[in-house]
Amino acid sequence: MQTKENAMTDTPSAVEKPTDPAIESGLERLTPERIRQVIQQVLKKETGPRFKAYVETCMRCGLCADACSYFLSNDRDPQFMPAAKVKNTVWQMLKKDGNVSRDFLRRAVRISHLECNACKRCAMYCPFGIDIAYMMLLVRRICHKLEITPQYIQDTVNSHSVTLNQMWVKDDEWIDTLQWQEEDARDEFEDLQIPLDKVGADIMYSVIAPEPKFQAGLIYQAATMMHAAGMDWTMPSSPGWDNSNMAMYTGDNEISGRIARKFFETAAKLRVKRIVMGECGHAFRSVYDMGNRWNSWVMPPFEVVHALAFYHELLTQGRITIKEKYKKKVTLHDPCNVSRGRGLHDKAREVVNLVCKDFVEMTPNREHNYCCGAGGGVINCGPPYKGERMVNNRVKAEQLAATGAEVLIAPCHNCHSGLEDIIQHYDLKMEIKFLGDLIYETMEKKIYEPEA
Amino acid sequence: MAYSNRFIMFLIVLFAAVGTGFFSYAGQDLERLDPWAFDSPRRPGAVFSHDDHIFLLDDDCSVCHHVYENGELIPDESSEDLYCSDCHSLKPMPDNPMPLEAAYHNLCRDCHFDRGEGPVLCGECHVKE
Amino acid sequence: MNSFIAFIMGPMVWISVIIFLGGLIFKLVGILGAVRQKEPYIYSYVTLKHSLRSIGAWLIPFFPRSARLSPVYYGISYLFHILLFLVPLFLASHIVLINEAFQISWPALNDSVADVLTLGVIAALIFFAVRRIRVPEVKYLTGAMDYLLILVVLLPFLTGFLAYHQWVAYQWITVIHILSGELMLIIIPFSRFSHMLNAPLTRAYMGSEFGHVRQARDW
Repeated sequence: MQTKENAMTDTPSAVEKPTDPAIESGLERLTPERIRQVIQQVLKKETGPRFKAYVETCMRCGLCADACSYFLSNDRDPQFMPAAKVKNTVWQMLKKDGNVSRDFLRRAVRISHLECNACKRCAMYCPFGIDIAYMMLLVRRICHKLEITPQYIQDTVNSHSVTLNQMWVKDDEWIDTLQWQEEDARDEFEDLQIPLDKVGADIMYSVIAPEPKFQAGLIYQAATMMHAAGMDWTMPSSPGWDNSNMAMYTGDNEISGRIARKFFETAAKLRVKRIVMGECGHAFRSVYDMGNRWNSWVMPPFEVVHALAFYHELLTQGRITIKEKYKKKVTLHDPCNVSRGRGLHDKAREVVNLVCKDFVEMTPNREHNYCCGAGGGVINCGPPYKGERMVNNRVKAEQLAATGAEVLIAPCHNCHSGLEDIIQHYDLKMEIKFLGDLIYETMEKKIYEPEA
Repeated sequence: MAYSNRFIMFLIVLFAAVGTGFFSYAGQDLERLDPWAFDSPRRPGAVFSHDDHIFLLDDDCSVCHHVYENGELIPDESSEDLYCSDCHSLKPMPDNPMPLEAAYHNLCRDCHFDRGEGPVLCGECHVKE
Repeated sequence: MNSFIAFIMGPMVWISVIIFLGGLIFKLVGILGAVRQKEPYIYSYVTLKHSLRSIGAWLIPFFPRSARLSPVYYGISYLFHILLFLVPLFLASHIVLINEAFQISWPALNDSVADVLTLGVIAALIFFAVRRIRVPEVKYLTGAMDYLLILVVLLPFLTGFLAYHQWVAYQWITVIHILSGELMLIIIPFSRFSHMLNAPLTRAYMGSEFGHVRQARDW
């Protein structure tokens, strides 16, 4: 039998890994009373019968192991299996009634923030449907309240808190960037506009802050598609434009709820019919699934359309036509938040087949796809952890290599960045693209005219 | 008179015993009931000692060889001249609510429970052959 | 001894069945009440359709991918759960007792078939124990309680098997058989065996989140 002490000491590697200044200084400030009080508060007051059932019901069968890319990538090392992550965090906290050590918490931060993408694949492999991602987010909530969240992701939350966007984008920079992209796009479409604050437009288009910060070309492409498809659209000029939500992943639920609320209020102020968003997974989850709940809506108060569904609509309605299909052999990565999180995988395939000539599946796919290893806030913990992120997702590299594709389509920002690292680290000789990149490349650059 | 009564009684018991299929068991005074009246018995016949029961019941045969009429036990009447299965059909019938199997089980086991002695667990009577 | 046996075959059966059923009902009412009080949002998301869809999908043998990845364990576990209910409920000896107590009965398994199935249950339990020792990821999760739970299930089946064959110490074996069966019933609501109630509930919730909100499959 594995005793508590064993469980702690059989993870010596945790001590050797690079330490995070935010975690370390946070740990130093903690007193045993504070640790106990926070853990008890979160696990007793902030949970209910659902958590109780999850803890009581697990039969330790180990079927969740095969669901986890961390477990599979680390040569089936048991401490990376989903249930083990619960054992080494929540079970111990409960057993000791919150009386856990700093070393324990250092490990708990790593487990919850860096060894779980909250992708919920394991919930599909547990016969009981136990939601381990939810429990990992509870651990992150405890870490947040103890102020031991990893530095980089905490910085994004700080940015959210101050600017309501993730990347410290200043208000004028945001407008500047949109105008700059509008100007550039006019080389292709002479009267293209990125309409700002157009009250009553059909669509509010929203992006995550990394787009204006360093991927402005994506806004250019989206504007081109909107313009060519003849959509009645707008973008907000003031805070509330960013649909990302890193606070959702640090357990800072209060800020997370504030971000989502501001976002919905922005859409309400513009009186749009629906919200369309770029190719980002977690942002979609934050406004489709999480942020609405924190703000007491069962379902989002607006129709929220992810880029995948929007592309599908534009292409199948003929609002955008493909001039010539993309020729290279492509494969498609199903991001957790839009496939397992919204069932958009079939639409994604239809779009890929409409745009590309040669599509090859990776296996497993759709809801069962392996995680990118970056999402759920993991990549946002920053460069100090990139090395282990690469080790922890070897299985993805193997899965990608097996397809023999030249181009990998990753229709999610987190997946895109994470997989780019994977491709580079494992030297996979693949290009990585957003689906929007391919549509932009292959579409006819003409404005849609409805048939009379 | 008393003597000849007893002798007659003995003959009747002997007759009934052979009729319902008692036979000597393992050379002791233990006998095994022949479950001939059952279609396909799942268990071997119960093992018991008739002599011991006569002794323990002070020769009151009617404790087991009882007579019921309209669901009422008729006191002081006994039925050694009948097979159990003459009254207790295999399935409960309007004129007999107590099927044969339950008649045995209830009669034996309940008495053993009441008296605090005698076997009460399945395999204690239905000893494997 | 007879009065002790009378107690464990009479009042004790009632006590254990009442604790078993009452415990589960009490638990269910407690859960539903606690959900209403602390997590009422769950009622907004759970739908009958998606709950049944998910539970149904997980009841079809080897339908979930998870099951296909561990076919041996899943297959044995699947049969084990069926036998766990089937053998005791359709055992001739048990039906006789129930018939005498309540005048109801139903068709029984052939004794030698039941005998083999009992061996099947015992073999499955041994497999579970061996798996806990041999498979690293299962071993990592396993604690003393897991073996104890296996033992609690093993006892009534093993003693039942021995009692049927009357090889040794029949009376004691049978007494242990009765007591261990009652023990198993009694601890169901208070142990992880309560997954017989919790699992359909957690599956229903996850099935609804996936089916209703996420519009994806969860198997």
